[in-house]
Amino acid sequence: MVEVMQTVLLIEDNRYDAQLISTLFKRLPECRVLYAADAETGLTLAMSESPDLILLDLGLPDMDGQTVASILKDMPASAHIPLIAVTAWPPATARDMAEAYGCDGYISKPFNANAFLAEIKRFLKQDNTASVETLL
Amino acid sequence: MNLSSSIPTYPSTSSLPEVLPPLLMRPASAFPLEALTDAYNQTRIDYIIPMPMNVTRLREYIHNYDVALEHSAVALADDQILGLALLGIRPPRTWITRLGVLPVKRRRGTGQELMEYLITRSQDLQAQQIILEVIKNNTPAHTLFRKLGFEEIRELLVVRRPPRAALPSAPPYSARFLPSETALSLLQQRRSCPSWLDEFPSLCHAGNMKGLEVHLESGEWGWAVFQQTSFQLGRLVLQAETRDEEAVVRALLHALHTAHPHHDTTYENLPAADPYWPFMQEAGYLLSFTRIEMQLSLK
Repeated sequence: MVEVMQTVLLIEDNRYDAQLISTLFKRLPECRVLYAADAETGLTLAMSESPDLILLDLGLPDMDGQTVASILKDMPASAHIPLIAVTAWPPATARDMAEAYGCDGYISKPFNANAFLAEIKRFLKQDNTASVETLL
Repeated sequence: MNLSSSIPTYPSTSSLPEVLPPLLMRPASAFPLEALTDAYNQTRIDYIIPMPMNVTRLREYIHNYDVALEHSAVALADDQILGLALLGIRPPRTWITRLGVLPVKRRRGTGQELMEYLITRSQDLQAQQIILEVIKNNTPAHTLFRKLGFEEIRELLVVRRPPRAALPSAPPYSARFLPSETALSLLQQRRSCPSWLDEFPSLCHAGNMKGLEVHLESGEWGWAVFQQTSFQLGRLVLQAETRDEEAVVRALLHALHTAHPHHDTTYENLPAADPYWPFMQEAGYLLSFTRIEMQLSLK
Protein backbone atom coordinates (compact mmCIF):
# COMPACT_ATOMS: atom_id res chain seq x y z
CA MET A 1 0.00 0.00 0.00
CA VAL A 2 1.28 3.42 -0.86
CA GLU A 3 1.15 5.71 2.15
CA VAL A 4 0.77 9.39 1.55
CA MET A 5 1.79 11.79 4.31
CA GLN A 6 -1.27 13.68 5.40
CA THR A 7 -1.53 16.91 7.31
CA VAL A 8 -3.96 17.29 10.17
CA LEU A 9 -4.71 20.70 11.63
CA LEU A 10 -5.71 20.66 15.29
CA ILE A 11 -7.41 23.85 16.53
CA GLU A 12 -7.63 23.40 20.29
CA ASP A 13 -7.00 25.87 23.09
CA ASN A 14 -6.94 23.34 25.92
CA ARG A 15 -3.27 22.44 26.20
CA TYR A 16 -3.96 19.15 27.97
CA ASP A 17 -6.35 17.98 25.31
CA ALA A 18 -3.97 19.18 22.61
CA GLN A 19 -1.15 17.21 24.20
CA LEU A 20 -3.30 14.11 24.50
CA ILE A 21 -4.42 14.32 20.88
CA SER A 22 -0.86 14.88 19.70
CA THR A 23 0.21 11.79 21.62
CA LEU A 24 -2.54 9.75 19.98
CA PHE A 25 -1.44 10.89 16.55
CA LYS A 26 1.94 9.30 17.17
CA ARG A 27 0.13 6.05 16.43
CA LEU A 28 -0.56 7.36 12.94
CA PRO A 29 2.93 7.94 11.52
CA GLU A 30 1.48 8.93 8.17
CA CYS A 31 0.09 12.08 9.79
CA ARG A 32 1.79 15.40 10.35
CA VAL A 33 -0.05 17.44 13.00
CA LEU A 34 -0.19 21.22 12.93
CA TYR A 35 -1.37 22.89 16.08
CA ALA A 36 -3.27 26.14 16.62
CA ALA A 37 -4.33 27.31 20.07
CA ASP A 38 -6.82 29.88 18.83
CA ALA A 39 -9.19 30.54 15.97
CA GLU A 40 -7.11 33.20 14.26
CA THR A 41 -4.04 30.97 14.04
CA GLY A 42 -6.21 28.04 13.01
CA LEU A 43 -7.85 29.93 10.16
CA THR A 44 -4.46 31.21 8.98
CA LEU A 45 -2.98 27.69 8.96
CA ALA A 46 -6.07 26.27 7.27
CA MET A 47 -5.58 28.71 4.40
CA SER A 48 -1.79 28.49 4.13
CA GLU A 49 -1.24 24.77 4.69
CA SER A 50 -4.31 23.21 3.04
CA PRO A 51 -4.52 20.37 5.56
CA ASP A 52 -6.17 17.07 4.74
CA LEU A 53 -8.25 17.09 7.90
CA ILE A 54 -9.18 19.70 10.50
CA LEU A 55 -10.04 18.94 14.12
CA LEU A 56 -11.84 21.90 15.64
CA ASP A 57 -12.61 22.49 19.29
CA LEU A 58 -15.96 24.28 19.48
CA GLY A 59 -14.91 26.29 22.56
CA LEU A 60 -12.12 28.68 21.60
CA PRO A 61 -10.94 31.79 23.42
CA ASP A 62 -11.08 34.30 20.57
CA MET A 63 -14.03 33.15 18.46
CA ASP A 64 -16.82 30.61 18.80
CA GLY A 65 -15.88 27.29 17.23
CA GLN A 66 -19.14 27.26 15.30
CA THR A 67 -18.23 30.56 13.69
CA VAL A 68 -14.82 29.14 12.77
CA ALA A 69 -16.57 26.13 11.22
CA SER A 70 -18.86 28.36 9.19
CA ILE A 71 -15.89 30.38 7.92
CA LEU A 72 -13.97 27.24 6.98
CA LYS A 73 -16.95 25.84 5.12
CA ASP A 74 -17.58 29.17 3.43
CA MET A 75 -14.08 29.71 2.05
CA PRO A 76 -13.38 27.99 -1.30
CA ALA A 77 -9.85 27.14 -0.13
CA SER A 78 -11.07 25.14 2.86
CA ALA A 79 -14.69 24.18 2.12
CA HIS A 80 -13.67 20.74 0.82
CA ILE A 81 -11.47 19.83 3.83
CA PRO A 82 -13.09 17.29 6.16
CA LEU A 83 -13.88 19.02 9.44
CA ILE A 84 -14.40 17.23 12.73
CA ALA A 85 -15.80 19.09 15.72
CA VAL A 86 -14.21 18.20 19.05
CA THR A 87 -16.27 19.26 22.02
CA ALA A 88 -17.10 18.69 25.65
CA TRP A 89 -20.75 19.51 25.00
CA PRO A 90 -23.37 16.86 25.68
CA PRO A 91 -23.26 14.41 22.74
CA ALA A 92 -26.73 15.24 21.40
CA THR A 93 -25.94 18.98 21.33
CA ALA A 94 -22.51 18.29 19.84
CA ARG A 95 -24.05 16.21 17.08
CA ASP A 96 -26.71 18.80 16.27
CA MET A 97 -24.23 21.68 16.25
CA ALA A 98 -21.68 19.78 14.18
CA GLU A 99 -24.30 18.87 11.62
CA ALA A 100 -25.83 22.34 11.48
CA TYR A 101 -22.44 23.95 10.96
CA GLY A 102 -21.40 21.65 8.14
CA CYS A 103 -18.92 19.54 10.09
CA ASP A 104 -18.26 16.12 8.65
CA GLY A 105 -18.10 14.47 12.06
CA TYR A 106 -17.79 15.14 15.76
CA ILE A 107 -15.87 13.71 18.70
CA SER A 108 -17.16 14.20 22.24
CA LYS A 109 -14.77 14.83 25.12
CA PRO A 110 -13.69 12.95 27.10
CA PHE A 111 -12.94 10.56 24.28
CA ASN A 112 -11.87 7.00 24.06
CA ALA A 113 -8.49 6.68 22.33
CA ASN A 114 -9.50 3.84 20.02
CA ALA A 115 -12.79 5.48 19.05
CA PHE A 116 -10.93 8.73 18.44
CA LEU A 117 -8.41 7.10 16.14
CA ALA A 118 -11.12 5.17 14.33
CA GLU A 119 -12.98 8.39 13.59
CA ILE A 120 -9.79 10.03 12.34
CA LYS A 121 -8.93 7.08 10.12
CA ARG A 122 -12.40 7.20 8.61
CA PHE A 123 -11.47 10.49 7.01
CA LEU A 124 -7.80 9.82 6.36
CA LYS A 125 -8.55 6.54 4.64
CA GLN A 126 -10.82 8.26 2.16
CA ASP A 127 -8.12 10.78 1.42
CA ASN A 128 -5.45 8.06 1.15
CA THR A 129 -7.52 6.11 -1.31
CA ALA A 130 -8.09 9.17 -3.41
CA SER A 131 -4.41 10.03 -3.36
CA VAL A 132 -3.32 6.53 -4.33
CA GLU A 133 -5.80 6.41 -7.17
CA THR A 134 -4.49 9.72 -8.37
CA LEU A 135 -0.93 8.37 -8.28
CA LEU A 136 -1.90 5.30 -10.29
CA MET B 1 -22.33 -7.50 75.05
CA ASN B 2 -21.41 -6.75 71.57
CA LEU B 3 -17.64 -6.58 71.70
CA SER B 4 -17.25 -4.66 68.50
CA SER B 5 -19.44 -1.83 69.76
CA SER B 6 -17.24 -1.34 72.82
CA ILE B 7 -14.02 -0.95 70.90
CA PRO B 8 -13.27 2.70 70.33
CA THR B 9 -12.58 3.53 66.75
CA TYR B 10 -10.15 6.11 65.48
CA PRO B 11 -10.04 7.72 62.11
CA SER B 12 -7.41 6.29 59.83
CA THR B 13 -4.58 8.56 58.81
CA SER B 14 -5.98 8.79 55.32
CA SER B 15 -9.29 10.14 56.57
CA LEU B 16 -7.79 12.86 58.76
CA PRO B 17 -8.82 16.25 57.48
CA GLU B 18 -6.22 17.89 55.32
CA VAL B 19 -4.71 21.01 56.88
CA LEU B 20 -5.51 23.69 54.36
CA PRO B 21 -3.74 27.00 54.06
CA PRO B 22 -5.96 29.98 54.90
CA LEU B 23 -8.10 31.32 52.10
CA LEU B 24 -7.61 34.97 51.24
CA MET B 25 -9.81 37.22 49.13
CA ARG B 26 -8.24 39.93 47.02
CA PRO B 27 -9.89 42.43 44.66
CA ALA B 28 -9.54 41.27 41.07
CA SER B 29 -8.17 44.71 40.21
CA ALA B 30 -4.94 43.69 41.98
CA PHE B 31 -4.20 41.23 39.15
CA PRO B 32 -3.25 41.83 35.52
CA LEU B 33 -5.89 40.81 32.98
CA GLU B 34 -3.56 38.10 31.69
CA ALA B 35 -3.55 36.41 35.12
CA LEU B 36 -7.32 36.72 35.45
CA THR B 37 -7.85 35.30 31.97
CA ASP B 38 -5.57 32.37 32.64
CA ALA B 39 -7.21 31.66 36.00
CA TYR B 40 -10.69 31.92 34.50
CA ASN B 41 -9.81 29.49 31.70
CA GLN B 42 -8.38 27.06 34.24
CA THR B 43 -11.61 27.16 36.23
CA ARG B 44 -13.62 26.25 33.12
CA ILE B 45 -11.39 23.53 31.76
CA ASP B 46 -13.83 20.75 32.69
CA TYR B 47 -16.99 22.85 32.63
CA ILE B 48 -20.20 21.69 30.95
CA ILE B 49 -19.80 24.49 28.40
CA PRO B 50 -16.13 25.61 28.66
CA MET B 51 -16.49 29.14 27.15
CA PRO B 52 -12.78 30.07 27.28
CA MET B 53 -11.70 33.70 26.82
CA ASN B 54 -8.59 35.55 25.80
CA VAL B 55 -7.51 38.90 27.22
CA THR B 56 -9.34 40.84 24.50
CA ARG B 57 -12.58 39.00 25.16
CA LEU B 58 -12.27 39.46 28.92
CA ARG B 59 -11.61 43.17 28.47
CA GLU B 60 -14.72 43.47 26.30
CA TYR B 61 -16.73 41.48 28.83
CA ILE B 62 -15.67 43.81 31.65
CA HIS B 63 -16.52 46.86 29.55
CA ASN B 64 -19.81 45.62 28.08
CA TYR B 65 -21.29 44.37 31.32
CA ASP B 66 -20.07 47.06 33.75
CA VAL B 67 -17.91 44.64 35.68
CA ALA B 68 -16.03 46.41 38.48
CA LEU B 69 -12.77 44.57 39.07
CA GLU B 70 -12.20 46.50 42.29
CA HIS B 71 -15.33 44.86 43.69
CA SER B 72 -14.72 41.47 42.08
CA ALA B 73 -12.81 38.76 43.91
CA VAL B 74 -9.89 36.41 43.51
CA ALA B 75 -9.49 33.63 46.07
CA LEU B 76 -5.91 32.79 47.02
CA ALA B 77 -4.13 30.29 49.22
CA ASP B 78 -0.37 30.11 49.51
CA ASP B 79 -0.19 32.82 46.82
CA GLN B 80 -1.95 30.51 44.35
CA ILE B 81 -5.19 31.51 42.67
CA LEU B 82 -7.93 29.03 43.61
CA GLY B 83 -10.83 30.76 41.94
CA LEU B 84 -12.47 34.01 41.01
CA ALA B 85 -15.82 35.71 40.57
CA LEU B 86 -16.71 38.97 38.87
CA LEU B 87 -19.23 41.60 39.96
CA GLY B 88 -21.16 43.81 37.54
CA ILE B 89 -22.71 46.97 38.97
CA ARG B 90 -25.80 48.78 37.69
CA PRO B 91 -27.37 50.48 40.69
CA PRO B 92 -29.49 49.43 42.44
CA ARG B 93 -28.50 45.94 41.22
CA THR B 94 -25.34 43.90 41.00
CA TRP B 95 -24.63 40.86 38.85
CA ILE B 96 -22.38 37.97 39.79
CA THR B 97 -20.71 36.30 36.84
CA ARG B 98 -17.84 34.03 35.81
CA LEU B 99 -17.65 32.35 39.20
CA GLY B 100 -15.20 29.50 38.97
CA VAL B 101 -12.84 27.41 41.06
CA LEU B 102 -9.88 25.50 39.68
CA PRO B 103 -10.80 21.80 39.40
CA VAL B 104 -8.03 20.60 41.73
CA LYS B 105 -9.02 23.15 44.37
CA ARG B 106 -12.72 22.35 44.60
CA ARG B 107 -14.69 20.92 47.52
CA ARG B 108 -13.10 23.16 50.13
CA GLY B 109 -15.72 25.92 50.16
CA THR B 110 -13.91 28.37 47.89
CA GLY B 111 -16.98 28.92 45.69
CA GLN B 112 -19.13 29.72 48.71
CA GLU B 113 -16.53 32.10 50.13
CA LEU B 114 -16.30 33.91 46.82
CA MET B 115 -20.08 34.23 46.70
CA GLU B 116 -20.29 35.46 50.29
CA TYR B 117 -17.58 38.03 49.55
CA LEU B 118 -19.53 39.39 46.56
CA ILE B 119 -22.82 39.40 48.47
CA THR B 120 -21.13 41.47 51.18
CA ARG B 121 -19.65 43.81 48.56
CA SER B 122 -23.13 44.20 47.05
CA GLN B 123 -24.53 45.08 50.48
CA ASP B 124 -21.71 47.61 50.96
CA LEU B 125 -22.68 49.11 47.60
CA GLN B 126 -26.27 49.32 48.85
CA ALA B 127 -27.55 47.11 46.06
CA GLN B 128 -31.15 46.02 46.42
CA GLN B 129 -30.89 42.93 44.26
CA ILE B 130 -28.18 40.56 43.04
CA ILE B 131 -28.69 38.75 39.74
CA LEU B 132 -26.83 35.76 38.38
CA GLU B 133 -27.23 32.98 35.83
CA VAL B 134 -26.37 29.34 36.18
CA ILE B 135 -26.26 26.76 33.42
CA LYS B 136 -29.14 24.33 33.74
CA ASN B 137 -27.93 21.00 35.12
CA ASN B 138 -24.90 22.56 36.81
CA THR B 139 -26.25 21.09 40.03
CA PRO B 140 -23.35 21.98 42.40
CA ALA B 141 -23.52 25.68 41.50
CA HIS B 142 -27.32 25.78 41.46
CA THR B 143 -27.43 24.13 44.89
CA LEU B 144 -24.90 26.60 46.26
CA PHE B 145 -26.87 29.59 45.01
CA ARG B 146 -30.11 28.28 46.50
CA LYS B 147 -28.31 27.65 49.79
CA LEU B 148 -27.24 31.31 49.79
CA GLY B 149 -30.84 32.43 49.31
CA PHE B 150 -31.03 32.96 45.55
CA GLU B 151 -34.36 32.23 43.88
CA GLU B 152 -35.12 31.28 40.29
CA ILE B 153 -36.59 33.99 38.07
CA ARG B 154 -36.82 32.31 34.64
CA GLU B 155 -35.03 30.19 32.08
CA LEU B 156 -32.84 31.81 29.44
CA LEU B 157 -31.83 30.19 26.17
CA VAL B 158 -28.49 30.44 24.44
CA VAL B 159 -29.28 29.98 20.77
CA ARG B 160 -27.55 30.32 17.44
CA ARG B 161 -28.27 30.07 13.76
CA PRO B 162 -25.73 28.75 11.26
CA PRO B 163 -25.19 30.67 8.03
CA ARG B 164 -27.45 29.72 5.14
CA ALA B 165 -29.92 27.82 7.31
CA ALA B 166 -33.19 27.43 5.44
CA LEU B 167 -35.59 30.33 5.81
CA PRO B 168 -39.35 29.89 5.66
CA SER B 169 -41.23 32.13 3.32
CA ALA B 170 -42.31 35.54 4.56
CA PRO B 171 -45.15 37.79 3.52
CA PRO B 172 -44.24 40.54 1.02
CA TYR B 173 -42.42 43.32 2.83
CA SER B 174 -40.15 46.29 2.36
CA ALA B 175 -37.04 46.52 4.53
CA ARG B 176 -34.79 49.38 5.52
CA PHE B 177 -31.54 49.02 7.46
CA LEU B 178 -30.86 51.68 10.05
CA PRO B 179 -27.66 53.17 11.47
CA SER B 180 -26.46 52.64 15.01
CA GLU B 181 -27.91 55.83 16.48
CA THR B 182 -31.40 55.06 15.17
CA ALA B 183 -31.09 51.45 16.29
CA LEU B 184 -30.25 52.45 19.84
CA SER B 185 -33.15 54.88 19.94
CA LEU B 186 -35.50 52.04 18.93
CA LEU B 187 -34.40 50.16 22.03
CA GLN B 188 -36.08 52.80 24.17
CA GLN B 189 -39.38 51.31 22.97
CA ARG B 190 -38.44 47.72 23.78
CA ARG B 191 -41.21 45.80 25.54
CA SER B 192 -39.32 42.59 26.36
CA CYS B 193 -37.47 42.22 29.63
CA PRO B 194 -33.84 41.43 28.74
CA SER B 195 -31.23 39.75 30.87
CA TRP B 196 -28.17 41.66 32.06
CA LEU B 197 -26.33 40.69 28.87
CA ASP B 198 -28.86 42.43 26.64
CA GLU B 199 -29.88 45.38 28.75
CA PHE B 200 -29.56 48.81 27.15
CA PRO B 201 -26.14 49.60 28.68
CA SER B 202 -24.76 46.24 27.44
CA LEU B 203 -25.89 46.92 23.88
CA CYS B 204 -24.58 50.50 23.98
CA HIS B 205 -21.19 49.34 25.27
CA ALA B 206 -20.97 46.44 22.80
CA GLY B 207 -20.98 48.72 19.75
CA ASN B 208 -21.55 47.84 16.09
CA MET B 209 -25.30 47.92 16.62
CA LYS B 210 -27.53 48.18 13.56
CA GLY B 211 -31.25 48.45 13.05
CA LEU B 212 -33.79 47.06 10.62
CA GLU B 213 -37.34 48.14 9.96
CA VAL B 214 -39.83 46.14 7.90
CA HIS B 215 -43.24 47.15 6.62
CA LEU B 216 -45.76 44.68 5.28
CA GLU B 217 -48.15 45.51 2.46
CA SER B 218 -50.94 45.40 5.03
CA GLY B 219 -49.31 48.35 6.78
CA GLU B 220 -48.10 46.32 9.73
CA TRP B 221 -44.52 46.85 10.76
CA GLY B 222 -41.77 46.00 13.20
CA TRP B 223 -38.11 46.51 13.91
CA ALA B 224 -35.00 44.61 14.86
CA VAL B 225 -31.79 45.74 16.50
CA PHE B 226 -28.68 43.59 16.24
CA GLN B 227 -24.93 43.66 16.52
CA GLN B 228 -22.95 43.05 13.35
CA THR B 229 -19.29 42.08 13.39
CA SER B 230 -17.13 40.60 10.63
CA PHE B 231 -18.47 37.08 10.91
CA GLN B 232 -21.31 37.23 13.40
CA LEU B 233 -24.70 38.75 14.05
CA GLY B 234 -25.81 38.84 17.65
CA ARG B 235 -27.67 40.58 20.46
CA LEU B 236 -30.86 40.39 18.42
CA VAL B 237 -33.89 42.33 19.62
CA LEU B 238 -37.10 41.81 17.66
CA GLN B 239 -40.30 43.71 18.08
CA ALA B 240 -43.54 43.75 16.11
CA GLU B 241 -45.51 46.95 16.50
CA THR B 242 -48.79 45.54 15.25
CA ARG B 243 -51.20 42.74 16.01
CA ASP B 244 -50.00 40.23 13.43
CA GLU B 245 -46.73 39.64 15.22
CA GLU B 246 -46.05 36.34 13.47
CA ALA B 247 -46.02 37.86 9.96
CA VAL B 248 -43.90 40.81 11.04
CA VAL B 249 -41.34 38.71 12.90
CA ARG B 250 -41.08 36.30 9.97
CA ALA B 251 -40.44 39.26 7.68
CA LEU B 252 -37.81 40.67 10.07
CA LEU B 253 -35.93 37.39 10.24
CA HIS B 254 -36.22 36.88 6.49
CA ALA B 255 -34.87 40.37 5.76
CA LEU B 256 -32.04 40.07 8.30
CA HIS B 257 -30.75 36.70 7.17
CA THR B 258 -31.27 37.30 3.46
CA ALA B 259 -29.10 40.40 3.78
CA HIS B 260 -26.43 38.56 5.80
CA PRO B 261 -26.38 34.98 4.47
CA HIS B 262 -22.76 34.32 5.46
CA HIS B 263 -23.01 35.48 9.06
CA ASP B 264 -23.22 33.11 11.98
CA THR B 265 -25.84 34.35 14.44
CA THR B 266 -25.64 34.01 18.20
CA TYR B 267 -28.09 35.06 20.86
CA GLU B 268 -27.36 34.64 24.54
CA ASN B 269 -30.11 34.68 27.14
CA LEU B 270 -33.28 34.75 25.11
CA PRO B 271 -36.09 34.30 27.66
CA ALA B 272 -37.49 30.79 27.17
CA ALA B 273 -40.98 32.25 27.24
CA ASP B 274 -40.21 34.76 24.46
CA PRO B 275 -43.21 34.63 22.11
CA TYR B 276 -40.91 35.00 19.08
CA TRP B 277 -38.77 31.93 19.85
CA PRO B 278 -40.98 29.55 17.79
CA PHE B 279 -40.57 31.81 14.73
CA MET B 280 -36.83 31.96 15.32
CA GLN B 281 -36.71 28.15 15.40
CA GLU B 282 -38.54 28.07 12.07
CA ALA B 283 -35.84 30.40 10.74
CA GLY B 284 -33.09 27.96 11.67
CA TYR B 285 -32.17 28.97 15.22
CA LEU B 286 -30.95 26.09 17.40
CA LEU B 287 -30.79 25.75 21.14
CA SER B 288 -27.22 25.44 22.44
CA PHE B 289 -27.98 25.30 26.15
CA THR B 290 -30.20 26.76 28.84
CA ARG B 291 -29.40 29.00 31.78
CA ILE B 292 -31.45 29.74 34.87
CA GLU B 293 -31.62 33.36 35.95
CA MET B 294 -31.67 33.79 39.72
CA GLN B 295 -31.97 36.71 42.09
CA LEU B 296 -31.26 37.51 45.72
CA SER B 297 -33.23 40.36 47.23
CA LEU B 298 -31.20 42.55 49.62
CA LYS B 299 -34.07 44.88 50.53
